[in-house]
Amino acid sequence: MRMWAQSHLCQKPQRVSSVLTAAFALIFLILSSSQSATALPAFARKYGLRCSACHESWPALNNFGLKFRDNGYQLMNDRDAPIWQNPGYWPVTFRITPIWHRVSSLSQVDTYTAGNPVPTGSTMQRISSTGFDLSGLDFHTGGTLEKNFSFYVLPSSDSTGAFHFESVNARLDNIAGSSWLNVKLGKFELNNLLSEKRTLWLTGNGGIYQTYHFIPANDGNTFGQMGDNQLGMEYMGHSVDDRTRVSAALLSSADGSVGLITGANSYSGFFTFDQAFDAGKLGTERLGAYAFVGEAATYYLTSGGVPIPGSGIGNKGFSRVGFYGQFYLGPHFDLNVVTQHGSDNAYFGQGYGSAIASDGDGTATCTGIAGSPGCPPNNTPGTTLPSGSRAPTWNGYTFEARYVYSPQLIFKGVYEAERMSQQATPGTPSNLGNINNYSIGYRYNPFMTSRAGFAYFGEFNLFQSAMGPLNSSNKATYQNTSELLFGFDFDF
Amino acid sequence: MKYHRNRGLAAILATLMLVGLVTLVTGHRASAAGESKITGTVKLDGTPPHMRGIDMSKDPYCVKAHANNPAQMELVVVGKNGGLENVVLYLSQGLPPQLENMKPNTVPVFDQKNCMYTPHVLAMDVNQDFKVITSDQTAHNIHPEPNPLTGNIPWNQSQPPGAPPVVKSWKVPEMIPVKCNIHPWMHGWFVVVKGPYAITDENGSYTIENVPPGNYTVTAWQETYSTQTQKVTVAAGKAATADFTFKAK
Amino acid sequence: MHRNLLKWPLLLSVVVALCLSGASYAQLTTDQQQEWLHSPAASSHIGNLSGAARAAALPYRRYCVGCHGDLGDGNGENAVWMPPPMYQKPRDFQLAIFKCRSTPTGTLPTDQDLFDAITRGFDRTNMPSWNPLTKQERADLVAWIKHFSPRWQTEKPGTPIQIPPEPEITPERVKAGQDVFGKMQCWKCHGVQGMANGPSASTLTDDLGQPIAAFNFTDGSRPKCGATDQDIYRIFMTGLDGTPMPSFADNIKPEEAWDLVFYLRSLQPHNAFNAKERQISKQLGLKPVNPNAPPGQ
Repeated sequence: MRMWAQSHLCQKPQRVSSVLTAAFALIFLILSSSQSATALPAFARKYGLRCSACHESWPALNNFGLKFRDNGYQLMNDRDAPIWQNPGYWPVTFRITPIWHRVSSLSQVDTYTAGNPVPTGSTMQRISSTGFDLSGLDFHTGGTLEKNFSFYVLPSSDSTGAFHFESVNARLDNIAGSSWLNVKLGKFELNNLLSEKRTLWLTGNGGIYQTYHFIPANDGNTFGQMGDNQLGMEYMGHSVDDRTRVSAALLSSADGSVGLITGANSYSGFFTFDQAFDAGKLGTERLGAYAFVGEAATYYLTSGGVPIPGSGIGNKGFSRVGFYGQFYLGPHFDLNVVTQHGSDNAYFGQGYGSAIASDGDGTATCTGIAGSPGCPPNNTPGTTLPSGSRAPTWNGYTFEARYVYSPQLIFKGVYEAERMSQQATPGTPSNLGNINNYSIGYRYNPFMTSRAGFAYFGEFNLFQSAMGPLNSSNKATYQNTSELLFGFDFDF
Repeated sequence: MKYHRNRGLAAILATLMLVGLVTLVTGHRASAAGESKITGTVKLDGTPPHMRGIDMSKDPYCVKAHANNPAQMELVVVGKNGGLENVVLYLSQGLPPQLENMKPNTVPVFDQKNCMYTPHVLAMDVNQDFKVITSDQTAHNIHPEPNPLTGNIPWNQSQPPGAPPVVKSWKVPEMIPVKCNIHPWMHGWFVVVKGPYAITDENGSYTIENVPPGNYTVTAWQETYSTQTQKVTVAAGKAATADFTFKAK
Repeated sequence: MHRNLLKWPLLLSVVVALCLSGASYAQLTTDQQQEWLHSPAASSHIGNLSGAARAAALPYRRYCVGCHGDLGDGNGENAVWMPPPMYQKPRDFQLAIFKCRSTPTGTLPTDQDLFDAITRGFDRTNMPSWNPLTKQERADLVAWIKHFSPRWQTEKPGTPIQIPPEPEITPERVKAGQDVFGKMQCWKCHGVQGMANGPSASTLTDDLGQPIAAFNFTDGSRPKCGATDQDIYRIFMTGLDGTPMPSFADNIKPEEAWDLVFYLRSLQPHNAFNAKERQISKQLGLKPVNPNAPPGQ
């Protein structure tokens, strides 16, 4: 929902853009009325709690909201079953964000000579696009079907209105009366302590956590995407006060794509453990670790040269492991940290793997012949890797800092770094594919009631990718993409 | 001879008595000469509202207790000649300082009898002890419900058969409703006032005793008809009169 | 007829409302509460923990105000979605009448009582268990609660009742507990089997005149003030202020109180606390008390 397609609209002069930017900032600040903020609105209606009780700043969860979610969207007050709800309660919230944004990125642009319709070359050029835009629309429905049976269904559309299921799952909560036994089945977000689906960010490169999606340059493994919702089964257990949490999920290595088109025959596992500590006046501190390990196919049977969906074999392994930290430093400030050590099999490093990957909505991205432009190579029998091929490995870090002035107003910043530690092919520049990602922004909720919520937000993101021409020390240069974004976020 | 000696002694005794009298009059309330009273009648003008009978079938003991004497609601109790019972009369203005904090030694008693409160309205002074007893062989709970923001704090105690009396007092003037949760028709009043007070009997008559001479405002309070006031001047040794008439709605 | 049954509760409510509405159930003002915020009463001490009200302003606004309101009177903006009898109105901190206390009826609770209430939450209400909050946050919130009402300025909390050590659970005690249940006539509201269907159950109202249900021992509900035996002991020996449940402290001796606790446990379905009591009840073949037996027996 938050992936903005880069629109190559007419390029606005630099000055007008700056003026517009400043104008928007001013307008939004002036319009920020400070009505008392009061209170998913669906959950607020059901329980009478303010939105801020569960959400540090909607939609990011605080510790109380995390416990509510881990309990299966239940307060555990014996009034959780739908039969206790007001007749006016309907467990649906919809959310959409109209925005204005300005994206600036580099593209290889064809050059022409006068009178010649055929391009004579190309250069790297910076293109800026600005305009009003939409995000996709989310229909959040979730809650309980009965005491200790919960569900979440999230039909989600992209900005054109094409729908897919972002989440569809049901969960058995507190099996045998124990908070340590919960089982979820369906499509769901992985148990990431720093949740990408509840992110406060909406820019193209800032609205996802790069650490959750990083793939080395030319790597074919598109399946180890921690930030995407995955299909599978998850066991989850937690202590009654939710201070200790553990989960183990068995997933299809399909990056959440339905229809068995890709990962029908390969599985991965996602394991987490975290422990919270009561740090007195500072707040609650939480430390955890995760591991995403599994296999995905590198070889697809073909028919007429075109990979057959669901026929993946030749599974090779991958792993993403690391630590989480969530540190509250007083009532206003918190810091979230994610570290990662990632490793893909050498076959993935050479580009095999995603022959018929999809973009998450169930339709394959490549329907042509494997190896043709737009379609990654197929690991056909007899394929050998170039000599010296190695497993690409890397280390990634995400730091997200939030200053919560009040439950209504939050200032936030993110810094992410992805650093290759071993390239797949010897001789490749050691930093090829490295990423720096910076974001800064704010969200202001003039109100948030049990009926509806609204936020003004503004963000700036700078994404740097080491994919540019080599410099004198044989290192790839960073190419920058930046995005400035303002909008309204509303949910009902 | 003897007469002269006795006269001296008598003089001394008389002086002492006078001193004593003055002390008593200016000190605590006492039934000495000089203090007077306010009497009167409270009537209801018009047809009294019908007091419905009470269905006590929830508790067979209560039904049996009223087998020959059905109970009725007591929001408005009117005797013959239109006299209004259970009206509390007190001095809302003009109380001299020593009477503001008067605390009689008597202990008014509130009884739970035959599943009704006897009396229906109990009047008392601030900090005056009162006693709640039960004469019934069925369990009650005594649950006064003052507004805690006045300074009177609600409490709720059980009174099973044979329970010992509950002795309490209140800190602040207030009209406090009292109920029993077990028998929802049981409803009474603790009326907490300052200074001398009285309650009308079945004829609507009352007498407020031991009122020093002065100018006062007498307030009459009835649970359904709220309050009425009258200015009264009490002269030494002479009873003042204040009659009230409430209009039936 | 339906109307007849509503007669006196209606009349009662009208009369009560007439008297309560006029006087000072009026709102306290924020100015008054601001003053109390800086008073010594706006602090809490729970074990080694000290809470300060001013540190709780932000957590109160984040977590509590939706139900309990800016003035702490239980009229938060979401309180309208919680109408009795299905829900219970959020606690009005201005009146400072609390159900779950270790102190006698008509007295203020201790800081520990309030801390436990926040930590534990209240079953069958929308008051959640706030144990994800740090202990310091909870202690600060206790102090904040105390700045809403003038009562904390002038009154001291009551003296917590003494609870004797829990004796061994024996058949004699369970049977004696049943006798107490009969003698105190608990069944009038709670029913002879503890199913909250006693003759007086349907007309119960709380101090605000709202319908309220007696505790049902048989449906697996957890008691309001905690699930342990001591918590149950405290309930009937201090009463749940603001509700029809009175204090039996003057009428039940401490030894008898433990007997009653064991009997009440035997009425509950199987849980973590009552295996022995249920077993004994079964062995003894305990039948429900007879409501028609002559009183005092």
